[in-house]
Amino acid sequence: MMIKKEIISRNPLLNLGFENEYILQSGGLGAVLAHAGVGKTALLVQMALHAMMNEQPVLHVSLNDAVSKVDIWYRELFHDMASKNDSAEITEYWENILNYRFIMTFRVEGFSVPKLEERLTDLMQQNIFKPYAVILDGLKFDESGRGLLLELKELAKKYAMRIWFTVHTHRHEPPREDGLPFSFLHVADLFDVLVQLSSEGPEVYIKALKGQSPGAKKDALLLDPATMLIKA
Amino acid sequence: MKFDDQKIRNIGISAHIDSGKTTLSERILYYTKRIHAIHDVKGKDGVGATMDSMDLEKERGITIASAATYCEWKNHEINIIDTPGHVDFTIEVERSLRVLDGAILVLCSVGGVQSQSITVDQQMKRYKVPCIAFINKCDRSGANPFRVIEQLRTKLGHNAVAMQIPIGLETSLEGVVDLAAMKALYFDGDSGEDIRVEDIPPELLAEAAAKREELIDRASLFSDELTEAILEEKEITPELLYAAVRKGTLKREITPVYMGSAYKNKGVQPLLDGVTYLLPAPSEVENVALDMNHNEEPVVLTSDPEKPIIALAFKLEDGQYGQLTYIRVYEGTVEKGSTIVNVRNGKKVKVGRVVRMHADQMEDVDSLKAGYIGALFGIECSSGDTFVSPGLNMTMTSMYVPKPVISLAIVPKDNKAQMAMSKALNRFSKEDPTFKSHVDHETNETIIEGMGELHLDIYVERMKREYNAEVTTGNPRVAYRETITQRADFNYTHKKQTGGSGQFGRIAGYIEPISDAEFVFENKIFGGAIPTQYIPACEKGFKQSMAKGPKLEFPITGVKVVINDGAFHAVDSSDMAFQAAARGAFKEAYLRAKPVVHEPIMKVVVETPTEFQGSVMGLLNQRRGMIIGSQDEGVMCVIEAQVPLGEMFGFSTILRSSTQGKAQFTMEFALYRQVPQSIAEKIALEVAQNKKTAA
Repeated sequence: MMIKKEIISRNPLLNLGFENEYILQSGGLGAVLAHAGVGKTALLVQMALHAMMNEQPVLHVSLNDAVSKVDIWYRELFHDMASKNDSAEITEYWENILNYRFIMTFRVEGFSVPKLEERLTDLMQQNIFKPYAVILDGLKFDESGRGLLLELKELAKKYAMRIWFTVHTHRHEPPREDGLPFSFLHVADLFDVLVQLSSEGPEVYIKALKGQSPGAKKDALLLDPATMLIKA
Repeated sequence: MKFDDQKIRNIGISAHIDSGKTTLSERILYYTKRIHAIHDVKGKDGVGATMDSMDLEKERGITIASAATYCEWKNHEINIIDTPGHVDFTIEVERSLRVLDGAILVLCSVGGVQSQSITVDQQMKRYKVPCIAFINKCDRSGANPFRVIEQLRTKLGHNAVAMQIPIGLETSLEGVVDLAAMKALYFDGDSGEDIRVEDIPPELLAEAAAKREELIDRASLFSDELTEAILEEKEITPELLYAAVRKGTLKREITPVYMGSAYKNKGVQPLLDGVTYLLPAPSEVENVALDMNHNEEPVVLTSDPEKPIIALAFKLEDGQYGQLTYIRVYEGTVEKGSTIVNVRNGKKVKVGRVVRMHADQMEDVDSLKAGYIGALFGIECSSGDTFVSPGLNMTMTSMYVPKPVISLAIVPKDNKAQMAMSKALNRFSKEDPTFKSHVDHETNETIIEGMGELHLDIYVERMKREYNAEVTTGNPRVAYRETITQRADFNYTHKKQTGGSGQFGRIAGYIEPISDAEFVFENKIFGGAIPTQYIPACEKGFKQSMAKGPKLEFPITGVKVVINDGAFHAVDSSDMAFQAAARGAFKEAYLRAKPVVHEPIMKVVVETPTEFQGSVMGLLNQRRGMIIGSQDEGVMCVIEAQVPLGEMFGFSTILRSSTQGKAQFTMEFALYRQVPQSIAEKIALEVAQNKKTAA
């Protein structure tokens, strides 16, 4: 399948030298750090699409956007990535991979780990959906304490999932030398993989902060902002 | 001299079912003195609300056909179209929005932005209708208008801003504070007709000041004068504020929000003020017609009553005096006795009676000027037709009409019913482009088709009530389709020699799947293997084959036919022979092109209390539903799924019983998708059985 091949070959995380195709191990936590508007959600949606193409179910939890808006993220990114293919083929492929995605949205104030677990068990017990990976978009790290992250890590282990987060970093807060913002330090050790997105003018760069295999390239890579894939 | 249409408003009232729009319309008519008593929606007093003029509507408490009505408020003429709230009648809503200049979006202060509000909002966006919102039912327990404003922002993406705050809520709702004038408004008298203006109660002063600040802040983006006044700390008058909000509203960049309780007679008159202050006059809205003489080039209409006539028939009704045609005049003036031309068929008609409607009562007028909505008598036409002055050849843009997804066989009880039924069907299909009917020649049954179970139910009921046509109905049938998945070649010879002149035709080529059209025919024959005169016959033969698949007899879509070779006989070839050859060729190739069955998939949105979320998802899953996602809304939760229509029969009963009646759902057509193998086998079995019974 042409679409799948291209997306794998241009996957930014694989190009950054993370160990295996799935990057995070079962029970692991990963995060994408960036300022507002650089493309955190887009990058994670692209990774989700990658998993869906490998028939790995992805649960997308959003604390910001409505289901329809999250769906549009997937639709647009997928169509941008697959635009070179025949339209009938794209539609068919899209219909197939949709079965591997479930969107759940919560209001920020209504979100809690027990609630998420309750919803998850609803889905799993009825054999509706069992996520391989979870994307948690919109959690405020400076406000939510370490406790919540520990609970989420437990949840990931319990259900053999990996969870990806978006971390919003503030422009007024200069990062430390290792790239991590101060407001993130209290939980940084809980994460297995950290990557950073940054923009310079119209260009978007991706850089690994934690979890790369030793000996991998340390330089930032240039991304195509429309697809968040490595620029061809 | 240019006609001043600044005092005309053509508005619609759109909302979710049960958010109280018919009650609101009723109050508007009362306060504008069009009616002299208030009736309830469900007709407890045996009369029913004025806008719900069909018996059936009164009984079910829903509005089916959009009744147009006209009223006056503070020197403004307001035409109101009451639109149905149920998704099954969406074509009615869309048709109404097409002729409107502005709308009131009614929301329930408890239920907030519900799935139907989202659909209606999308339609308003499509037709670029500016709107103001009215948060109704503020007297209900659990009312929270500010939560609804927040939902307008987050769920619908509106830049919603409160024009008022409530004085008290739930049972203690007393009135509203007008944030532009900074005055408290109370509604006295038996029916709230006397407005008492007072100072804002001290306990609300701080909140009112804060909300006014927010209003000014949001409105200032649209007016330099207002920004200047803010910077220079001048007094901000209500006029200045309204002018700024109006600019934003017309661009659909701000949504002013009014609130109250129509049922308790609170807050309706300020909303009417809002309609006159904030919604556009006909000439402020850009309407476009297509010039048929110039390749359908769009022409912007000017709303000038002196120009030649351009008017759109947007609704038909069968009244006791014959067909009543609701029209909106875009340009020119439609006068009694003037001649107009129906662009669709070129027929000239003379305008007889011209009336203005007030639900099911009418008043005669001499003319309808550009910008007006009214009705004509005795004009034979279909809904959606354009009327123009002789010599013009323009058409209003055609509306998108979805194809029916469900069908039902109906059998009249006796001969009398048969006559009445055909009369009713003729009328309904003229009125509603999504409703179709035909006779199945094999089973001799009359088949009606529409957009959902309820859609067809209502028409069957109307047949009984309005036309006295007693019919029995069969089980609803899903509109399956067939298509092919791979290319297949054909080389077919049709040859018959049965005395006299024979029949001969050979066609060769291939069929292949296409995704963006239903049927494409391409002729690649060079050198006259089939003479040009027979090519249309070939195309016709292939097209005929598309009507019924050779396997399951569903209509076929998405096929491209290419012919590249053939043969003919100087004496025996004919149109008939090549049509037959094409049908044979299609049949030959079709089964080798791996045909599959497609079924209509509906977008189903269920709103349920969170405690039933799990079981609702289970219900959808059991019905082969693909759940797109779930949205947590505090106590309620919205689940969106794509479910095959064939699995949705009886869903409302099951949903009700599994959620103690607390969940509700809406459904609309989304797409066609391939049926899984196991289901396809089941369908094939059913088709075979149906054939047996028919035989």
